Amino acid sequence: MNRAPGRGKGTGALRRCSAIWSRLCGAVLILFLLAPPLGGRDYPPSVPPPKATVIPAPAIQVLPNGLQVVVVERHSLPLMTLRLVVKAGAEFDPAALAGTAALASSLLTEGTTRRTSRQIAEAIDAAGGLVDNGAGWDSSFLSLSVLSDQADLAFDLVSDMAESPAFQAAEIERQRKQTLSGLQVAHDDPAYVADTLFQDLVFAGTPYSHPEDGTLESLPRITAEDLRRFHTRYYQPANCILAVVGDISTPEAFARAAQFFSAWKNLAPPVLPLAAAPPRREERQAVAIDKPDAVQTEIRIGSLGVPRSSPDYLALSVANEILGGPSENRLFKALRSRQGLTYGASSDLVCRRALGAWVAKTFTRTPETLKSAHLALEQIKSLREHEISRSELETAQSYLVGHLALDFETSENVASQILELIQNNLPLDYWNRYPAEIMALTTGDVWNAAQRYLDPDHDIIVLVGNVADFKKDLKKLGHAQVIPLNEMDFASPDLRRPPGEAGK
Amino acid sequence: MTSSLSFRKHAVTLLAAAAWLLLLALEPAAAGPIKLPFTDLHQVDLANGLRALIVESHDAPLIDVQVWYHVGSKNEVPGKTGFAHLFEHLMFDGTKNLGPNEFSDYVIRSGGTDNAYTTEDATVFWETVPSNMLPVVLWLEADRMRNLEITDKVFNNEREVVEEERRLRFDNLPYGSVVETLYAHAYTAHPYQHTTIGSMQDLERASIKDIQDFYDTYYVPNNATVVIVGDVDWHEAAVAVEEYLGRVAAGKALPAHAIAPEPPQAAKRVVKLDLNVALPAFVEGYHMPADGTPDAYPLRLAAKILSEGESSRIYTRLVYDQQIAVEAQSTGNFTEDPNLFFAFAVLNSGHTPAEGEAQVEAELARLQTELVSTAELEKGKNQIRRDFSLSRQTLQTRAEELGYAAVVLKDAELVNTELARFLAVTREDIQRVAKKYFVPENLTLVEVNPRSAAAEEKPGHRPAGGAQ
Repeated sequence: MNRAPGRGKGTGALRRCSAIWSRLCGAVLILFLLAPPLGGRDYPPSVPPPKATVIPAPAIQVLPNGLQVVVVERHSLPLMTLRLVVKAGAEFDPAALAGTAALASSLLTEGTTRRTSRQIAEAIDAAGGLVDNGAGWDSSFLSLSVLSDQADLAFDLVSDMAESPAFQAAEIERQRKQTLSGLQVAHDDPAYVADTLFQDLVFAGTPYSHPEDGTLESLPRITAEDLRRFHTRYYQPANCILAVVGDISTPEAFARAAQFFSAWKNLAPPVLPLAAAPPRREERQAVAIDKPDAVQTEIRIGSLGVPRSSPDYLALSVANEILGGPSENRLFKALRSRQGLTYGASSDLVCRRALGAWVAKTFTRTPETLKSAHLALEQIKSLREHEISRSELETAQSYLVGHLALDFETSENVASQILELIQNNLPLDYWNRYPAEIMALTTGDVWNAAQRYLDPDHDIIVLVGNVADFKKDLKKLGHAQVIPLNEMDFASPDLRRPPGEAGK
Repeated sequence: MTSSLSFRKHAVTLLAAAAWLLLLALEPAAAGPIKLPFTDLHQVDLANGLRALIVESHDAPLIDVQVWYHVGSKNEVPGKTGFAHLFEHLMFDGTKNLGPNEFSDYVIRSGGTDNAYTTEDATVFWETVPSNMLPVVLWLEADRMRNLEITDKVFNNEREVVEEERRLRFDNLPYGSVVETLYAHAYTAHPYQHTTIGSMQDLERASIKDIQDFYDTYYVPNNATVVIVGDVDWHEAAVAVEEYLGRVAAGKALPAHAIAPEPPQAAKRVVKLDLNVALPAFVEGYHMPADGTPDAYPLRLAAKILSEGESSRIYTRLVYDQQIAVEAQSTGNFTEDPNLFFAFAVLNSGHTPAEGEAQVEAELARLQTELVSTAELEKGKNQIRRDFSLSRQTLQTRAEELGYAAVVLKDAELVNTELARFLAVTREDIQRVAKKYFVPENLTLVEVNPRSAAAEEKPGHRPAGGAQ
C-alpha cells in the first residue's frame, strides 16, 4: 500500500476489428504476444486521473399543501420508483408502545378507505410492482417501484395508501401476529440481539432506547387508536417528502404529484422535539447475554457519536474509515487479516436526527471472545491516543471521494442521497462541495474529532454468546453483567423479565 | 457514505436468507419486446484460451470488471468440500508481487469496491472502479491468475476466517442447518449434495498441497472469462485485456467432466430435525432440470405465481388467509446441473410443519389440475420484466448477468434473447412442468421441530438461555 506506481509493461500485438465486424461474426480473435519473463517484483501500471463525477441535480417543487416533491430522471430502464418519506419514525413511538411507527407503516399496504388489502396486493403485483414500507428511527417510508407504463397507478396507490390507511381490526391482528412471530425468531439470532441491546444501552433514557420493531410485551398493547393517532399526527403533507425517480419526465412527475397529492390536508403541525444526549456513564459497562448453544459470540463496542447534521460529521467519517470503514479498517486488519479471529470486523457511525453512536462490530468463535473484544478495544484506544498517519488519511480520503460516483450509480441511490440532505437540513449542493471538504481535512482534524468522541474507558460492550466459556475473565472488560437470553427484556430498565415470566 | 447499524428488521426471513445463501444462481437477463436496452457485446478470444466480453455503457465514469473461473463446489470431491470457496479467499492473500490484501488496497484507494463469491458452478471476482483504473485492475487480476503465493501462516489464517464464515452463516444462525440437510438427503451422487461452504472437518484437513493443485488445475486462462461493462472504448479495453491477461500462460486442459449425474429419485425422502429455534418450519425440494433448459422457464413462472408478492397463491393461502405461516415461499435454485425447486415456510406458534406442507402441496396440486389464469400468467411475466430491469441497474449486476450467461448457460447472447423465452411460456407449459416435477417420488422434505415450549415453562425448571 502507498507504493509509488510503476510503469506499464509492454504493448501486445492486436488485430483490431470494427464493431460491425464483431457484430457480424460475434467474436473477435486477437493474436497474443507473450511478454518477456518478469524479474523481481512487478507493479501495476500508472493511470491517468479519473474523470470527474457529475452529481445529478434534482428538480424540487413544493405543493401548496407543503409536500416537497423531488424528481430525478433516468431513462435507461423502463422503471419508475415513488418513495414517500414521513419525517417521523420509531423515535416518536409513544412510551411503552415500542413498535408503533413500524406497525403503522406496515399497515399502509393492508387496506385503505378505498381498497382492501387484497385489492392493493393484486394491483401492485399485476403492475410488476415491488413495494417496500417500514419505519426507521428518523422517518417512516412507503416505496413502490413499477414498470414505467404504470406510473398513474403508482401515484394513485401511493397517495391512497399514505393518506387513507384503514387500520382495520383484522389487518392489525394479522400484522401484529406476523411481527410477534418475527421477533420470536429474531431473539434466536445473536446479531439481532447484540445490535438491539447495544442501541438500547448507548441511548439509554432517550427515545432511541427501544427496539424499533417493538417487543413481545409492547406489541400486544398497541391499539387501532394508537396507530390512527400516530398516522394523524405525523403523516401530513407538510411533514413529508415525495421522491419520484426513474423513467418519467420532470414536468410529468410534478403534474402527477399535484394531481394525486394536492387534496391531502394538513392538520396541526407535528411537534418534533430533539432528544437530549444521555449523561456520560461513570465506567465501562459490559453486558453478556448467555446463549448456551452459540458457537460464536457477537461483539459490539462503542459510545455516543454525532447526529447527521453535526459539523464534526465529515472528520468523523474519515476517522471511521480508519477504524473500521471499507477502506483502512484497522479492526479488520487486527482481527481478521492478522489473527483469523473473525470473518468480519467493522465500525459504523450511526447518525440519527438528534443523536448518534459510533460502534465497532465483530464476531468470533466462543473461546476467542475476550481476546477479540480486547483487540477491538485496543484499536479504539490506539486511534484515540496516537496520531493518524498521513498514508491512512490519504487512503480514507481518496476512497471517500472516489466512491462518490458509486453512491450515485442508480436513480434510487440519487434519490436517497438527496432525501438524506433534505431530512437533515443540509444544503442541496452538499455533494458537489464534498470532495473538496474531505480533501481539506488534515490528520490533526481527524485525530481531534476521533479524540472527542472515542471513549474506550466508558464504552458499552455487548457480548452475545455462550457465556460459560468466557465468564471467568469478563470482569476485566469493566462493570459486567450476565443475563440469560430467555430472561432478557429489552424494554425493562434492568433488562430482565419479572421473575416467573422467563422463557416466553 | 452514510452508515447505520444494520438492525435486522425482518429477522423472520432468516430461513429465507439461509436458503438464498445457497440459491446463489443469478437471475439471468435478456432484452425482448419491452424497451430494455440492447447489450452490444464484443467478444475477444485470446490464444491462451481466455475469453473476454466487453460492453460499453457511458452513464457514469465507472467500470465493473469480473473474472469468472468455471469452477465451483460441484468440482469438489468427497473429503475436500469447501475448497472452491476457501480458494476464493486465498486469491486476496498475496502474490509474488503483492502482500496479503494489497490487491484490494489498490481498488479501495481509487474509491472502488471489490469482492468475490463462489457458487456451485463458478467462482467470481469483481471490482467496480473509476474507469481510469481499467489497466490497474487487469494487471491485478492477471497477477493473481499467475503469481499467487500463499504462505503457511496466511493459509492457516484464511482457513480460520472461512471457518468463522461457516459459523456465522450456518452453525450460529437459527435454521442455518436446514438447507444443508435438505441437499445432503436430496442428492446421493452429484456433488450438489454438499454446500459451497463445505464441512468443518474438510476445511480442517485442507493442506497447501491441495490448494496448489486446485490453483494449477482451475485458475488458468483457459478456464476464465473476463467481463468488462462500463465507461470504456471497447477497442481500448480489448487491447488492455490482451496486454495484461494475454501474458498468462495457458494451463493444462481441464479434467474431463467427471461429475457424477444424480440418479432419478425413486421415493419421497423425509428428514426430521429438532432445532433450538422458536418456530416450526419445513423445506421441500423437488428435483428439476438445469437452468437454461426449456422447462426452466415455465418453472420460474410457476414460482412467481406461487409466491411472488402478497397476491401470490402460497402467500395468500398460508400467510394471509389461514395465518398459519409467518413466511412462505417457493423458488427454484437454477444452476448448471439439475437442482431443486423449493417450497418452504416458517410456521406460526401452535401450527405443525405437516399443516403447512398440506397447504403447500394443495397449491402445487392445483397447478397440476387447473390451468393458471391468463391474468396470473401476465402478472408473472410483468414480474419477470421488472426483475430483468432491476438486474440491469448497476454495472456490477449487468456484468454478473453477462458472466452467468456466458459461463454457466454457455451463451452470452442470452442477455439479449432470454426474456423472449419467458414471454413465450403458456398456461399449458406451467401445467405440464407441474405435473412432471411436483411428484412425491421427486421430493425431499425437511421438517423442523422447534424447542418445546412446554419444557421451558415447566415450573421450577428454567433452562438457562432457552437451550434444551
